Amino acid sequence: MINLIVIVISAVMFALVLVWWRWSAFRASIEAPKYFMLRQERRFDDGPRTPSSTYLL
Amino acid sequence: MTTLFEQSVQPAGRQSVPSAGKLPSVEYGLIRAHVLASLVTLVLSVLFGILVATKFTFPEFLGGHGWLTWGRLRYNHTQGIFFGWLGNAFLAFSYYAVPRLANRPVSNRKLGWSLFCIWNFAVVLPGWVLVAAGFSQPLEWAEFPLVVDALVVLAFILMVFEFVLPFLKARLSNLYVSAWYIIGGIIFTMLAYPVGNFVPELIPGARGAAFSGLWIHDAVGLFVTPFALAIAYYVIPATTRRAIFSHFLSMVGFWLLFFIYPLNGTHHYVYSAIPMAAQKGAIVASAYLGMDVILVVTNLLLSLRGSSGTVSKDVPLRFVWFGVISYLLVSLQGSVQALMPVNRFIHFTDWVIGHSHFAMIGFASFLALGGIAHLWQRIPRTRYNERAMNWSFWLLAFGLTLMIADLTIAGLVEAQVWQSSAPWIDSVHAVASYWLVRTFSGLPILAGFVLFWISLITGSRVSAESTSVLSREALENVPVLDVDTVIAHGSSFASRFSYVHALIFGAGVGFFALSFLVLAILPGKELADEIKQVAPVTMPALTASEQRGRVVYGREGCAYCHTQQVRSLAADVRRFGAPTEAWETKYDYPQLWGTRRIGPDLSRESNVHPHDWQLTHLYNPRLVVRDSIMPPYPWLFSGSANQPSQEGLDLLAYLQFLGRARQLSGFDQQTPASVVRSATADMAMANQASARATPPTVPIAMTGGYSDSAPVLHPASNSNDLLEEVSHGATLFAANCASCHGVAGKGDGRASVSLLPRPANLTAARFSDERLSSVLWNGVTGSSMPPWRQLPTEDLRGLVAYIQSLHVPSAAPSTQEATNLHEGKSLFAVNCASCHGDRGTGDGPAAGALAPSPTNFHLKKPTEERAWEVLENGVPGTAMPPWKGQLSADQRHALVEFVRSLYGTLQENSSP
Repeated sequence: MINLIVIVISAVMFALVLVWWRWSAFRASIEAPKYFMLRQERRFDDGPRTPSSTYLL
Repeated sequence: MTTLFEQSVQPAGRQSVPSAGKLPSVEYGLIRAHVLASLVTLVLSVLFGILVATKFTFPEFLGGHGWLTWGRLRYNHTQGIFFGWLGNAFLAFSYYAVPRLANRPVSNRKLGWSLFCIWNFAVVLPGWVLVAAGFSQPLEWAEFPLVVDALVVLAFILMVFEFVLPFLKARLSNLYVSAWYIIGGIIFTMLAYPVGNFVPELIPGARGAAFSGLWIHDAVGLFVTPFALAIAYYVIPATTRRAIFSHFLSMVGFWLLFFIYPLNGTHHYVYSAIPMAAQKGAIVASAYLGMDVILVVTNLLLSLRGSSGTVSKDVPLRFVWFGVISYLLVSLQGSVQALMPVNRFIHFTDWVIGHSHFAMIGFASFLALGGIAHLWQRIPRTRYNERAMNWSFWLLAFGLTLMIADLTIAGLVEAQVWQSSAPWIDSVHAVASYWLVRTFSGLPILAGFVLFWISLITGSRVSAESTSVLSREALENVPVLDVDTVIAHGSSFASRFSYVHALIFGAGVGFFALSFLVLAILPGKELADEIKQVAPVTMPALTASEQRGRVVYGREGCAYCHTQQVRSLAADVRRFGAPTEAWETKYDYPQLWGTRRIGPDLSRESNVHPHDWQLTHLYNPRLVVRDSIMPPYPWLFSGSANQPSQEGLDLLAYLQFLGRARQLSGFDQQTPASVVRSATADMAMANQASARATPPTVPIAMTGGYSDSAPVLHPASNSNDLLEEVSHGATLFAANCASCHGVAGKGDGRASVSLLPRPANLTAARFSDERLSSVLWNGVTGSSMPPWRQLPTEDLRGLVAYIQSLHVPSAAPSTQEATNLHEGKSLFAVNCASCHGDRGTGDGPAAGALAPSPTNFHLKKPTEERAWEVLENGVPGTAMPPWKGQLSADQRHALVEFVRSLYGTLQENSSP
């Protein structure tokens, strides 16, 4: 059973790597969130504080 | 890939920050509240840990109160770190990161404060109080009682609403890996927690252990690791202002973690009764997980490429970097120690404690500290004191390094002693100095955590509207990606992949369920079938008293020092008896197998130690075992060892229950030595490491009961050798016997007042080699004298030589007049023979019903004074009555002379 699980997981991961390698659109898609995160970080650093933010402590 | 990473890099100052509408609100009050709670609970939990460590060296320290005893403090130490420190830290980080990552506020502020109150005032605080008061669950990482567990599950359900819903409202294809880790951490812990905490209460013994093993690892793998990695993946790009190396690799690492980690759990029970297929599955998964960690850490370190200057300057990032390196090292260490050749050596030792501290401090706590410091510098009105923060880092790094090195070496030393035939207490002696160092290593760690707290409250105050100076400067000077271009490029395609994320998440839940099927449900079914076939039909269940004693055993944390599983390893079998089988645990709700040995395994404790010995040992272990580090349990007694409370009697009953079913089953009936030798060799797992003594010819297993295999140990006849043996025996006597028999062997040791019959006055009789050998091998039934057959034979021989040297013959030998002897013989036949036998060999008709057995005067020659005293007063605690009122002084004198005349006159009766 464990051999089967290892083989299945390995196959799934290998397939993902294959898709990533052969399909540039997938590469762009899967990498996009890391830029979204950076954009958000900059928005929060530079943007105005919203009134709904709480400062209870 | 390279093009994708490099194509949009432009100086930050030349690009505008894209506008995406109003910023979502951030619950800064909740962030501060959780940070404060995390640091308060952290310092308290570390204090608990230092007290626990101190008690290794000073077991009496704060030992008079149940609520400060080692076991309960140990429970509160780990649960405080898990729920109080890490739980609050991760919640604080979630309140900071979720609005940024989801571009939405958390679901509800009131819900957040409810969650805060539940987490701290319905879980952590009551959990601590209940454990201290004696209400706990003796399962690793599940020590808080069931009522608290229910509230933990409620808290995780609230977390789903608070943190997961905002992500679900966002576009899944935009979710950054930290968001996935937060979602996964909450959902998978919510699913795993009830299984790990409730199921072992319903499924007993080995079958329940299969579930416990999963939770032990899921607690780290599905809660601690995801949140810690969420912090790492967040802080690194947020500080360096550069995207991580590969989001694809980060997602591969994320899914591998959730696919593989749940499959690891059973590696805590390698060589146990759990089916080998499940054990091997867990070992393979552990090795596979190592590869996943290499992938994750490689990705994180590549994300730091070119940022070494930032790592050294930015303390939060340095905390994160340290945590990432620790993650790599501790995970690879974990993979290696799951392998059978390593596991059989280091499991149960301090090596594993070093490993867990490496994981929880080096990895999880450093990342949590990095995350808190990072957000503290970026939320309104708070900044940290950089100087204090810097000192905090170095104190923690130093303390942790010292602790891990110390515990790792201590583990190797313990393992080496356990492989030998040396007595168990030798392993305690061997690592005593390491435990002291470990305690000291906790001090810089405590100082580091306190300083971290100080750094947060002594930082310069800034206005609420001020943004991070650090990040503004970074924004000006560090090139960043043109995120809009890249996002637009990816998003045109990404929407089509949203369903893929959902699909893979569903697969993750499937793998989670699969882990329980493969490692718990199927092995459990196999074990149930095995138990049905093998368990004796007459196996007695626990009595009410034994059941109550089991609860006391659990609440005092006994299972954290004493295992109840003999592994199928030669070293274990030689020391404790045959490997534990699943049927032996069929009444264990929950299982008490344990994952650590400081004291010996107790699964076969029944009849190993007499009742008085057990009670005295529980009252104050050092009364009977001089160098024991076991905590005392005076609250189970009413002022003295011979006045146990009902709880003390219940615990005694439970200890006497352990292994009784096995003894009654007849499975281990007097296996010939040759068979035992070949059986242990056939295990092919035996590591017959350098025993300091000659390997014993029979198992040294501490199984109770009488053994015919007692060797007769004759001291050396050569005077030089004899002197050496006596000297060696004196050392052993002082360490093992003096607490009962007294330093001079007069039966007046510290423990003697609570023992009945009193320990023998070894100076008041001459003992034959046969008698001493038999007593040392088998103990004395009906007295507090336990068997010492676990000692190497040369040690036993030394003790024989030393004890014989204690006897000083009377200066003026008595005159044995023939008339006296004749009268004595007549009196003996009339008054004594029914117990002591016609020939004085201790085998009279009534002897079989007496414990201790009547004296065999051919093997023991009391001094005149002692014989007279016995006839005058009897021997309290035995069947020997006083004869003062029934025999005249002359008659008693005659009897004294007669019994003393028997010694050594019947060599053929040398067997005890």
